[in-house]
Amino acid sequence: MTTGQTMLTLAAFVFLSTVLMNFYGTLAMTGADISSGQDGILATTITTSYLEIAQGLAFDEITDTSSIAINNPTALTASGSLGPDGADEDSLYKFNDFDDFKGFSFEKEAGGTGRRYRTTFNVYYVSTTNVETSSSARTFLKRMDLKTWRTFPPARTTDDLDTLNMSFVVGYFHFD
Amino acid sequence: MAAIMDIIYSIILGGTILMIILNANDMASENHSVYNGDMLVQEMLITTAQMVEGEFRNMGFGIPQTQASIIAADSSDITFLCDLGRDGGLIDQVRYYVGPTSELNRTQNELDRYLHRTVNGGGVNEIGVVTIFKLRYLTIAGEELTTPVASDRLSEIFVVEVTMEVQNPYAILRNASEVGEGERNALFSSSLWQQTRLASQNSRR
Repeated sequence: MTTGQTMLTLAAFVFLSTVLMNFYGTLAMTGADISSGQDGILATTITTSYLEIAQGLAFDEITDTSSIAINNPTALTASGSLGPDGADEDSLYKFNDFDDFKGFSFEKEAGGTGRRYRTTFNVYYVSTTNVETSSSARTFLKRMDLKTWRTFPPARTTDDLDTLNMSFVVGYFHFD
Repeated sequence: MAAIMDIIYSIILGGTILMIILNANDMASENHSVYNGDMLVQEMLITTAQMVEGEFRNMGFGIPQTQASIIAADSSDITFLCDLGRDGGLIDQVRYYVGPTSELNRTQNELDRYLHRTVNGGGVNEIGVVTIFKLRYLTIAGEELTTPVASDRLSEIFVVEVTMEVQNPYAILRNASEVGEGERNALFSSSLWQQTRLASQNSRR
């Protein structure tokens, strides 16, 4: 073999290796996308499950304990006091009103898959004219922001791990 | 002599390249089947889940707060009340349950079965194919009720947890040597969905 032929052969190998690397990379990426789809399904169902439970709770501590209609938002829990109303409200099924979730963080295994997801909660009053704007004053609208991400199996350093963000606004109403 | 050596080297290199390409082709084909199966089951799951999610969301709609919205509750069979017509009058009985695996003997997957839906005991609709449709019932205090839930405890159901798994009806076969004891001789792509739904939307405010 002449030097030229050797160089040509080496160049062909480099070219082939590059093509193969890209090929295997694409295969791995497709697998990661499919897996990420399953993560998305589970994260969404877990988050909506929490939302569903939150929706079933009273709007505020005062509306849970009293059946009298509230006409003035100042009767509601102060903005800085949103969150659990006592030390006994330390788990999901002990909450009695919507804002009890504030500051909480729950981890849950998605039914037998071995995958675990953590969800964090924030609850605050929002402006009645724009639900995107938080309000330090009490209003008849509360918004819950949830963030859910997979904690197990942990993401590899090369993976992008999505965090699911979901928000829900609940308004106070009363039937006389 | 040099020419013969060149030919030998070429055959070795060419053979190696051919092996690499065949292996890559084989892997691409296998991965295509797996990924296609995974995507298929995710789509099947979401289609069924949207139906279940939407209808379970309306569980107890139009039912007085004093009345239980679930009238029968078992581990994979539920009947609940809902005003489907939204006419404020006739209350409908909606039932979801899984059929036997024998209904889908024609598929390669021996675990798949139909998820059935009936309204007021009428005609049966197959709304999806699942391998697991599991229901858990919890009280407002988080206590899990044993199934079938006793009739005097039906009104205590606060949330219903639905777990659904869908597997691909088409198998990816394995070599007999790869199958362990008690394992299935084929692999099936699967996808899981789990959600909690309130037994009644107007239970507390």
